[in-house]
Amino acid sequence: MKAATIEKLTAVYAWTCGILLVGIVGGILGYLFYRGWPGMNLSLIFGDTSPVAAILLRQPVFNGLFPAIFGTLVLVLLSVSIAVPLGIAAGIYLAEYAGQKARHIFGMIFDILAGIPSIVIGLFGFSVAVFLHHHFSDRIQPCLLISALSLAFLVLPYLIRTTQVAIEDIPRHTRITGTALGASPLQNIIHVLIPHSLGGILSGVVLAVGRCAEDTAVIMLTGVVASAGVPRSLMGGYEALPFYIYYISAQYTNEAELTSGFSACIILILLCASLFGMAFWIRRRISARLLYRH
Amino acid sequence: MTPKISITQLTFAYGKTVVLDNLSATFDEHRITAITGPSGRGKSTFLTVLNRLWEDIAGARITGSVQIRFGNNDLDIYHPSVDVCDLRRRVGMVFQTPNPLPMSIMKNVTFPLTLAGEKGRENVHEKAKTALQAAFLWDEVKDRLGADARSLSGGQQQRLCIARALVLTPEVLLLDEPTSSLDRNAGEVIEDLLIRLKDRCTVLMVSHYQDQVQRVADRILEL
Repeated sequence: MKAATIEKLTAVYAWTCGILLVGIVGGILGYLFYRGWPGMNLSLIFGDTSPVAAILLRQPVFNGLFPAIFGTLVLVLLSVSIAVPLGIAAGIYLAEYAGQKARHIFGMIFDILAGIPSIVIGLFGFSVAVFLHHHFSDRIQPCLLISALSLAFLVLPYLIRTTQVAIEDIPRHTRITGTALGASPLQNIIHVLIPHSLGGILSGVVLAVGRCAEDTAVIMLTGVVASAGVPRSLMGGYEALPFYIYYISAQYTNEAELTSGFSACIILILLCASLFGMAFWIRRRISARLLYRH
Repeated sequence: MTPKISITQLTFAYGKTVVLDNLSATFDEHRITAITGPSGRGKSTFLTVLNRLWEDIAGARITGSVQIRFGNNDLDIYHPSVDVCDLRRRVGMVFQTPNPLPMSIMKNVTFPLTLAGEKGRENVHEKAKTALQAAFLWDEVKDRLGADARSLSGGQQQRLCIARALVLTPEVLLLDEPTSSLDRNAGEVIEDLLIRLKDRCTVLMVSHYQDQVQRVADRILEL
């Protein structure tokens, strides 16, 4: 077969795959909006409670999704806040400080960690809660903090690997710019390597946000409950959208309840999109403030 | 005349490959020395020996002595007491490919001053302005100092890198094929700049272009 024909076939195959994937994503989103949009209204979120009173946490919401939305938001922000500093620091260690052998061993461990099913991480989190309950305090039980720690543990490998790869991909002539100007290794990391790899690091953060927002297996074992209201403490139970979607799709008794499940999916997707947007906005602000104001 | 740089019996190797073998040479102050020779003879490596930039390369090792005269004192740059960050501020380096950092034009030039802990916004900006003027770039960028440095042309980026190296007023300036990625006009501007720079510092430049070497260099060292 001629080289030009192979070239064309490859291009056609690549285009077909791309269009197919976009079509599937579009189909899923379209179906969700088709099924869920009719159920989208303020009473789905706030029930009989006034939205202002609910948002200001003055009145509890008993028959709406607000506690689940609030719980998901708190859970994601808490998990990411724990995982991001640890993950970025570990990625920098692997890229810049670790020797060949340490890099190999740690890299292998993080790859194994990335492959552990989330239900196993959830079980581990539950076991930790039980251990602490028995040995330290009766008040410790599966709760928001245990869920956040478990989710942070779940997303750490992605953050570590994306940070490591983003830093290692910086070409040598850029990597040594700061060093040649008299930067210490730490100054070079802060002023040269991190600004250069912000895009890659942010991809890891976005991936982590998405994973924390959607994972159900971990939170089912570590603290989420069907009806807990807005989380008031790190040591208490909470509600979350993924669990609501799972629960309602498995237990619905009429069409309206199923529609509310689809509506919850739309809200979860919008919530993730908002968090992604926030991550990109923070990156732009960091770049503008630190790098482009003279 | 006491030489600015004295190199005695310098041998540099990566693993079993000897790149520089028992090299001795001296370089006078305020002169431009062009380092030439076929590819693979260690010209770029030789420059990194003078600011110890090779030290992060696994398996590399060096023997011999390198002394640089700062003021009235000869400094053995490989003595354990030498602060390598401070050395690199006094021995500036410009690379083959322009490597502006992803920050504003002004921040690129003030960056080495920030690293050195220089205080006072006005003082820092005044030094940056002087460096940009010395690199013949001030007039072209003075109205867009907050713009991304990567938006400059290749020749402007290279002059920005030279300004960035000059802002610390180094006594020695190392240039590794500074015009090889530029077009002819941009290259000529850099050559003019180098000739003027020798009043400020001692220049060592790796170059493959014989005509450029003839135009710019006071002395040629062939490796």
